[in-house]
Amino acid sequence: MKFLNSKNIQTIVIILTVSGLLFLALSGYLTPIFNLSLNPLIALQRWLSVRYISARDFLTTPRDVVELREQNAALEVQVNQLQTELIVMEERLGEAQVCFALLDFGRTNPEYDYIAATVIGREISPFLQYIIIDKGTEDGVRFGMPVVTQQGLVGRVDAIIARASRIKLISDSTSVVNIRLQSAGIEAQLEGSLTGDVFLDMIPLDANVEPGDVVLTSGLGGNFPPNIFVGQVLSTQSRENALFQTASVQPIVDFSSINAVLVVSNFEAVDISPLIPEE
Amino acid sequence: MPLIAGSADLILLFFAAWSLQEKVKNSWLWAAIAGILISIVSAMPFFAPLIGYMGVVGISKLLQKRVWRIPIIAMFIVTLLGTFFQQALYLLVLQISGAPLTWGESFDTVMLPSVLLNLIFALPIYAVASELVGRIYPLEADV
Repeated sequence: MKFLNSKNIQTIVIILTVSGLLFLALSGYLTPIFNLSLNPLIALQRWLSVRYISARDFLTTPRDVVELREQNAALEVQVNQLQTELIVMEERLGEAQVCFALLDFGRTNPEYDYIAATVIGREISPFLQYIIIDKGTEDGVRFGMPVVTQQGLVGRVDAIIARASRIKLISDSTSVVNIRLQSAGIEAQLEGSLTGDVFLDMIPLDANVEPGDVVLTSGLGGNFPPNIFVGQVLSTQSRENALFQTASVQPIVDFSSINAVLVVSNFEAVDISPLIPEE
Repeated sequence: MPLIAGSADLILLFFAAWSLQEKVKNSWLWAAIAGILISIVSAMPFFAPLIGYMGVVGISKLLQKRVWRIPIIAMFIVTLLGTFFQQALYLLVLQISGAPLTWGESFDTVMLPSVLLNLIFALPIYAVASELVGRIYPLEADV
């Protein structure tokens, strides 16, 4: 009975207690007691955690702000670069679309040869309507060649140097184009004006011209090829005791925004001035 | 920047402002160079831009001696007179060369809008020219 001394009994009791507690805990009988005891601990942990996070943020915010500002500046630079590239790409897309339109016009009118050119300048004087293109004699441009776009007639080559040419627009006050009204089947003259508007003159009084009538080049005079689209009639005017009717025309080409043109290179303008009798 | 059919001529304004500066002595030379260069590019007859700009410089020099105390007023007067002179010269030359232009229509649609636009831009151009003259011809330091 030496085995059952106080020390051994103490040990056995402890083992039995712990085993009992483990058995009860694993069986789930101690869960309510655990919940009651853990709740205060959880509340304390939450309280400590909030304070700790506040203190940590207070101490680390300056460093984070500097990093954020550096990142922001880098991103802004990147955004600016991308915006610049976007603008450049959009501009190239616009140019490509213009070139595609000109190419399409060339394909639909294969009887002529064309020299594509970019508009690089405009006339300085407000009395005149001219544009300057970047093709000249070195590129095959010659005096008097007609100039068109995919939409219609633009004008004629008026002056050339080696690498540039000056084009007189059909809206210039000194420009006269022989035209034909498609629906009425009559011929008249298209003239420019000081304001850049174009109008028809020398329309016979008995001609029936309606707004919307298509105006095409007639080819008379030998300055322009025939059947090039010029514009549409806006309105007609006839005065008493006048020999002819007049009409205002909306040109199909917007001369204020023209960027690229085609020079008709295989059309030779006919100089009929020797045939005109001297006055 | 067109207004009806008129447009501002910044070169004219610059020469008007440049010539009004007291320190500038060689504005005739620069006006001649500019007139020749513009004549090469423009469809106007060769001598018209040249005479136009030389005329503006002449008007500037005349007014400089008379309105020297109020240079900004002088700038506006030179702009007004210079624009009318240049546009009238252009119109006359074009009429002589056969253009079907009338004085009435040209005055209403080209000259008046051009004068208005030039007057609007006159003050900023004068400021730029004054600044440029200050940098090119610095004040002499008293010894």
